[in-house]
Amino acid sequence: MLELNKEQREQFNEILELLGESLDISQSDYDKAVESYKAVGTQLAKDNSKLKEYNPQIAPQGSFLLGTVIKAINDCDDLDIDLVCELLGKNPNWTQEDLKAIVGEQLMENETYKKIMEFPDGRRCWTLKYRENSEDEKYHMDILPSVIDNDYRRDFDGLFSEKIFDRSTIQKLAFRITDRERDDYKTETNAVEWLKSNPFGYAKWFFDRAEQGQVEKRFSLKASIQEVPNFQKNKYPLQRIIQILKCHRDMMFSTEEDKVDKPISIIITTLAARAYTGSKNILEALENVISNMKNYIEICTNDEGKAVYWVENPVNSEENFADKWKEHPQRQKNFYNWLEQVQRDIIKITEQHGLTSIGNEIKTVFGDNVGNQTINTYSERLREKRENNNLRMTIGTGMLGNTGKIEVPQHKFYGK
Amino acid sequence: MANRKSLIVQANLLNKDFPQSVTKVKKDDRLIWESTIQPTPLSAVYTIKLECHYYSKMQKLIVKVTDPFPLPLANGEDKLPHVHSHEKQHLCLYYLGDFNYSKPFVKTIIPWASEWLLHYETWACTGTWNGGGIEH
Repeated sequence: MLELNKEQREQFNEILELLGESLDISQSDYDKAVESYKAVGTQLAKDNSKLKEYNPQIAPQGSFLLGTVIKAINDCDDLDIDLVCELLGKNPNWTQEDLKAIVGEQLMENETYKKIMEFPDGRRCWTLKYRENSEDEKYHMDILPSVIDNDYRRDFDGLFSEKIFDRSTIQKLAFRITDRERDDYKTETNAVEWLKSNPFGYAKWFFDRAEQGQVEKRFSLKASIQEVPNFQKNKYPLQRIIQILKCHRDMMFSTEEDKVDKPISIIITTLAARAYTGSKNILEALENVISNMKNYIEICTNDEGKAVYWVENPVNSEENFADKWKEHPQRQKNFYNWLEQVQRDIIKITEQHGLTSIGNEIKTVFGDNVGNQTINTYSERLREKRENNNLRMTIGTGMLGNTGKIEVPQHKFYGK
Repeated sequence: MANRKSLIVQANLLNKDFPQSVTKVKKDDRLIWESTIQPTPLSAVYTIKLECHYYSKMQKLIVKVTDPFPLPLANGEDKLPHVHSHEKQHLCLYYLGDFNYSKPFVKTIIPWASEWLLHYETWACTGTWNGGGIEH
C-alpha cells in the first residue's frame, strides 16, 4: 500500500466528506419526507380515530434518525424512511393483531393513503409507497405501531440529558411492538409481553459512538425525536463512513436478484459503529472500520455444535442482527465478500496517482453520478475559495489550499 | 509601459519562491522559466514553462504544460478547455484587466497556472470545467 503523507490524508478526508455529501438526500426531499410523515401522524390522531386517546405520535427511526440515509443509487432503489407510531398505552383488550389492524384502518380512512398502502402488511410495519410527481420521487415509509408507557415519556427529557449512559438507562427507551410471526400475535393483550424494540436506545448508543473524539456537537437526538427534526448537514465522520459503505453495498448488489441477499444496513451500521474509534479523518476512520468490523461478529456454537454468527444488538443482547444468516447462508457469504471487496476498493482508490485517476476510480467503485458529483464539488469549492480571496499557494510546489505565502488573485480563465 | 517590471526582477522573484526551477534571462528581453507544479497534495506533478518576450512597446507571454505532453483528455472531448493552443498546450489564464506587466508573475501567472492544472485534473475526470472564466 502506498504511504500517504499527512496533507494527502487530509485531502482524502475532504474528498470522502464530499462523497458522503453527494449521497445525502436534498434538504427539499428531506422536508418533503418530514411533511409526509407528519401528515401520517395527523391522520392517526384524527378526532374519529380509535387511537386518538393514546396520543399517537410519529417519529423517525433507523437511518433517517441516524443521519445515515443515502439517496437511491440504482434505478430500482427506493428511499427508505422508517417511522415509529408511538401510542401512550392502548385499549386493554387489543391484541397485537388488533393494534396493527386499527392503525391500518385509520390510515385507510384517508383516500390518498389507501392508494399507496402496501398489502399485505409487513411483519411489523405498514408501508406507504410514495410515487408522487415523478419517477425521481420514490420513497416509502415503514410505519411501526408501538406502545409505550407513561414512564417512558416522562423519562425522555432526563434520559437524553444524561451524560453517562448505562444499559439499564437505555432500556427505559424501549417500547413494545407487534410481530406477526409470534405465536401470541392474535391472543396476547398484555403489551408488556409483546416484542421489545428500542430504536431510540440504539440511536442514543449510535450517537455516543459517533461523538467520540469529536469536539463539535453536530446533532441533537432529542430534538430529532421530540420536535421537528432538523436537517443535519454537518455530519460526523462515522455517519459519512456508513453512508459510503452503504453506497458501496448498493453498487455491488444492484440487481433485484442480488438485493435479496445483500448485507443489511443495520449490520453494517452496528459493526461500523463498534469498530469506530473516534478518528476525525474519514479515510483513516474508514480504513480502521473496514479492517476491524469483522472482529465484532461473534462466532458462537449452538447445541448441535455448529457455528452461529452473532451480531449483537447493542441495546438488546438477546437480538442477533445476523439471525437470518443461518437459513440464508448466502447472506453470510455476501457480507464477507462485500467486506473484502470494499477493502480492496478503498485501497485501490488511495493508490491512484493524480486527482483524475482518483476520481475515475471513485466513479468505478461508487458509480459515475456519485463520482462526478464528488469531484466536481471539490473543484467548485476550490474556485469559490479563490473567489472569496481565501485561496493561497505554497511556494516551491505551487500547491493550492488554505495556507501558503501567496494569495491567489482574482482572474478569469479565458480561451475556448 | 514605463512601469512594467524588468525581466531580471521577474526572474529573481520566480527564483526566490521556486528555488528548484530553471530560469533563464536572455539580455533583458526574454525570460524562460520552467518548473514542476503540483496543484494539490494528491495531484499529479506537472512541468510548466513560462516564456516572456519584452519588445519596445509590447510583450508576449506564453505559459504551457510541457509534461505530460499530450495531456490526457476527458472522455468524449477532443480538446483542452481554456487554452490558446490545444496542440501546443498554451494556457489561457487571464482576461483583459486581470493582469499587467507591473505585477510579479510569481504572484499572478503561477498561481493561476496551478489553478488551471487543478481544474484540468478534475475536468479530465468529469468532463466539466469548474474553474469559471470566459469562453471566446
